[in-house]
Amino acid sequence: MSILRVAIDIPLPRLFDYSSDDALPEDVGRCVRVPFGSGEKIGVITALTLNSDQAADKIKPVREILRSLPTLPADWLALTKFCSHYYQYPLGAVMAMALPPHLRRGKTPRRRAPSSAATTPTRAQTPQPKLLPEQAGAVDTVAAKFGQYAAFLLHGITGSGKTEVYLRLIEKLLAQGRQALMLVPEIALTPQLEARVAGRFPDARVVSAHSGVADAVRARGFLDALEGHADILLGTRLAVFTPLPRLGLIVVDEEHDASFKQQEGLRYSARDVAVWRAHQLGIPILLGSATPSLETFYHARQDGGRYHLLELTQRAVAEAPPAVRCVDTRREKLQDGMSAVLLAAIEARLERAEQSLIFLNRRGYAPVLCCPACAWVSRCRRCAANLVVHLADQRLRCHHCGFETAIPKHCPECGNLDIHPFGRGTQRLEESLSARFPTARILRVDRDSASTPAKWQAILETIHGGRADILIGTQMLAKGHDFPILTLVGVVGADAALFAADFRAPERLFSQLMQVGGRSGRALLPGEVLIQTEYPAHPLYQALVTHDYARFATTQLAERRAAGFPPFTFQALLRAEATRLEDAVDFLKLAAKHARTIATEQISLYDPVPMRIQRIMTMERAQLLVESTNRPALQNFLAAWSDRLYTIKMARSLRWHLDVDPLEF
Amino acid sequence: MLTGKLLELAALRYTPAGIPALNFRIVHHSQQVEAGSPRLVECEMPALALGQTALLLAGAKPGDALRLTGFLAAKSLKSRTPVLHVNEIEFLEGIDHGI
Repeated sequence: MSILRVAIDIPLPRLFDYSSDDALPEDVGRCVRVPFGSGEKIGVITALTLNSDQAADKIKPVREILRSLPTLPADWLALTKFCSHYYQYPLGAVMAMALPPHLRRGKTPRRRAPSSAATTPTRAQTPQPKLLPEQAGAVDTVAAKFGQYAAFLLHGITGSGKTEVYLRLIEKLLAQGRQALMLVPEIALTPQLEARVAGRFPDARVVSAHSGVADAVRARGFLDALEGHADILLGTRLAVFTPLPRLGLIVVDEEHDASFKQQEGLRYSARDVAVWRAHQLGIPILLGSATPSLETFYHARQDGGRYHLLELTQRAVAEAPPAVRCVDTRREKLQDGMSAVLLAAIEARLERAEQSLIFLNRRGYAPVLCCPACAWVSRCRRCAANLVVHLADQRLRCHHCGFETAIPKHCPECGNLDIHPFGRGTQRLEESLSARFPTARILRVDRDSASTPAKWQAILETIHGGRADILIGTQMLAKGHDFPILTLVGVVGADAALFAADFRAPERLFSQLMQVGGRSGRALLPGEVLIQTEYPAHPLYQALVTHDYARFATTQLAERRAAGFPPFTFQALLRAEATRLEDAVDFLKLAAKHARTIATEQISLYDPVPMRIQRIMTMERAQLLVESTNRPALQNFLAAWSDRLYTIKMARSLRWHLDVDPLEF
Repeated sequence: MLTGKLLELAALRYTPAGIPALNFRIVHHSQQVEAGSPRLVECEMPALALGQTALLLAGAKPGDALRLTGFLAAKSLKSRTPVLHVNEIEFLEGIDHGI
């Protein structure tokens, strides 16, 4: 009889031992049905041993080893184990998250006859564009490292043809009979990329993995990948956990994108996990971006750094990068938030039948509804945030908890009927532009107008078909899209982000503006970017005007070094939330007390503080920051600390989690 | 209550809940008695009509004579200038001609 060590999806950082009469060493990695409490659970066998720490009479026999389900390979077990350790999250929960829902429940997805028919329309094999010398150089450099670990940063300006470099590398890799994993930040981008990849490799089996894929399809894709039938796996962050026995290259496109970091449950960074996985498997990884994260850029810049830097400085199709200009709005009386220069530029595009994009990263009509008579503002009753005015459907909505209510007829405090929306969102901009350009075809693109994939697809088709003249868009439109007749990007209301409390705010603003600016003039028409600002001399805008990411990044890195921020330190955040703020803070104080008993002098421990948005969904939130200049020291500390956190007696409503390498504060 | 002539009329707008609203100014001329002696009075008053009265007024032109009934309220918390909120509106067309 042998003992099986089983990982079960429960919120405790431990494994459970069960006995079995017929377990074999090759059952490690198999799913298993086990009795648990009064019920039953599905777990994964992580090891086979002969003795157990648990008392012999407490060890129950397994119900069934699920041998009809595929065995999870050893490298996958190692990957989940690493994530469990690094992110201080129970192994069973890591595995449950990494598995598609079908397998998690121990079900076999129905097999589909293997067919090469993809779900997206495949075009005939497109002719390959000629590579520029820099692109060819990048392809050769990476391909030379096939079969061994190497990390590359492909830093290419927008429109420089990064995707073409990926595709060429995948082509070379497929020729060697290996699999490629390509991670992209957003589901919204995958259908386009899917079509492009499928068009380029009509004979390859391309599998998509993202949360928009139906469960059964996802489970089949997972099995196809695991059994080596899939050649190219394309997906968002969760795809990084797909087992791929012949994996030969990982590509992370837009590696700086915050969506690679999961913000709940296992708070992993798919980019960082991908780098670890490449290292584990001894294969190259290519991180691509026009505006790399400062962490990645730092690694690529240091002498003898950990990443190799590959640069694409020329645009593949367009002649020149778009001309970026700041419009000083200090002296000007804006018309509905827009300057005369911007309005004239839009008008010129309308005359030439070209498209304009006005970028405003705030959906809704106005961020708040106020009563000018008594100063009432539309607060969310569950969050420390304002309810946003959505005029089109007559609702007030909280963008944090989803609460919504009808727009009140009069001020709830004093009865005044004449209440005003304050500030400007995309809907209001749409209204102003419609009034200003009554004959123009105006299309608003935000999460409200593109609420379903079908609507989003329809919007993209409208834009590509040239059936829209002025686009008003949030960050949804900022990434990855190629709109050939779009020649003007106007940026409205970017200044607020200059003064955000988060030290990463400038980095995010810069990359966002660079990305959105890159939408203009991608084809043969020259592009123009107008940024409305009250701070035209701000170094961030100046770096945008000169297209000088390196200068911006170098300045930012110097500031981060001086302030002791990442990448020069490593951070972890303990967050707690409870119905009463005192409960959350008390928990953190106890946690800090435990921390002081185990922290070495390499660990800096801060005080518990309420979070920036202190209340969300009636939960009061507070956080405690831990920092170290030494990552292993921080890891050792976190392992010891998190064990103790589970022992702290806490208020009933209290929830806590650790966020390692947090992106948001 | 205030009578006067319509001086200027803003565009008809709607509150977020869809109630019509109209800002306008009215100029008032009259003869009054002050401390026992008669005098001429002239003043201008910002006013606001909401709901049906706003729709009623939207067709008016500068120069139209009006009799307004309503109440005074501060323009906003910041600006304490009074604004006449109109409950009832009466067009006084033709009255002047008879004099």
